[in-house]
Amino acid sequence: MTDLPTKRARVRAEIETWGTILYLDVASESVGESELNVGIEECRKYFYFIDDVFSTYKAESEVSRLRAGKLNLSDSHPDLREVWAACEYAKAVSDGFFDPWCVEGGFDPSGYVKGWAADKAIAILKSHGAQNIQINCAGDLSLAGGFENGKPWNIGIRHPEEKHTIVKVFDIMDGAIATSGTYERGAHIKDPHTGLIALGARSATVYGPDGGLADALATALVVAGRDGAYLFMKPELAEYNCWVIDRHGDQAWSPR
Amino acid sequence: MKRALLIAGGTIGGLGAVLSITPPHFGSSTGIAGGIKTSGSTTPTTPTATTPTAAPTQSAAPTPAKTKKAKPAATNKATAATTAPAASGASGTFTGATSNTQFGPVQVQITVSNGKITAAKALQFPNRDFRSQSISSQAIPYLVQETIAASSSNIQGVGGASYTSQGWYDSLVSALAKAGMK
Repeated sequence: MTDLPTKRARVRAEIETWGTILYLDVASESVGESELNVGIEECRKYFYFIDDVFSTYKAESEVSRLRAGKLNLSDSHPDLREVWAACEYAKAVSDGFFDPWCVEGGFDPSGYVKGWAADKAIAILKSHGAQNIQINCAGDLSLAGGFENGKPWNIGIRHPEEKHTIVKVFDIMDGAIATSGTYERGAHIKDPHTGLIALGARSATVYGPDGGLADALATALVVAGRDGAYLFMKPELAEYNCWVIDRHGDQAWSPR
Repeated sequence: MKRALLIAGGTIGGLGAVLSITPPHFGSSTGIAGGIKTSGSTTPTTPTATTPTAAPTQSAAPTPAKTKKAKPAATNKATAATTAPAASGASGTFTGATSNTQFGPVQVQITVSNGKITAAKALQFPNRDFRSQSISSQAIPYLVQETIAASSSNIQGVGGASYTSQGWYDSLVSALAKAGMK
């Protein structure tokens, strides 16, 4: 990258949806703020659309109707079918530790959709000339292009209990980083194999190219704990890595 | 500050020595003070804008990739013990400018002791309707925590957290400038 000063447009925005607030940090040297804002508006509409299709809190969403048996998968929106297939893959590659079908009330892709949709939003923003992109979905991030001038995004990972403490910082140019744990919204992850509350890890962070799969694998590791380390030896997951804080013993580990 | 000591000592909740807990920008003893004016005015409770020091990120961000290696816990402990009390930056309470967000105005007030943020709170936060209110009441504690974390870590995003607000960030930067810390 050149050392010459360049005019960089940077826009930060918040989008309230999915029961939380998404935070976007978007920059470019080739287009101005107004064009970035156009891209952000397109993302906003896209996120609302995703909520309408995938929310398990909206009775009329396609996922809710699918769960209620009022909608056939074959009649559903192509995005839902895409996510369904992606979840099947994530379940297979995680050897069942991630299982969105093993949820009370039926298929719940929430653990996959956030990262998946954030990746889509990155494509939308790029099409509007954005070069440096962060999309933070309540602690799961999709990133592109680094922060600026060839420097990566420095992403801090919060301590599972001491919320004001950053326990680890990852430097990421492009890709996704997702953290799952039982600390944010109570014990919300169940072990598909036993039906009990997952006990494998207090906090699992996964980073790799695909946001949806990173989300799913982080969830899988909260279930599996150290038993899930071998997953990252699979050739399919060669581009993924994790950093996990054990449930007990106050230790963190990484498979490589 | 408690947090700084905890991190540098590697004893966070007992996670401690086994973790590579040293955040990259904490790699050197100057990392703590790197984003903080250590030799400036110490006039307490004078929220007059002081001249911001030279870009703090320059000293706070030396080649992030390298610093992933954790220092031995013992070294960190020693470092923390000597540097943390010695930090003698600004002290007092500083109020940031009001930042207008789409949800309403946000204004942050920080309390600084010896150049470190010990507390941060929202003087103004959007509460136009119930929905916003419930989000705000959830968000503020996280933001306070992230603020305190960010005061010694040069990071642009927080994973595993809930919510980071631009309005909060903007007002915080202004408060930090007043404190001569940024």
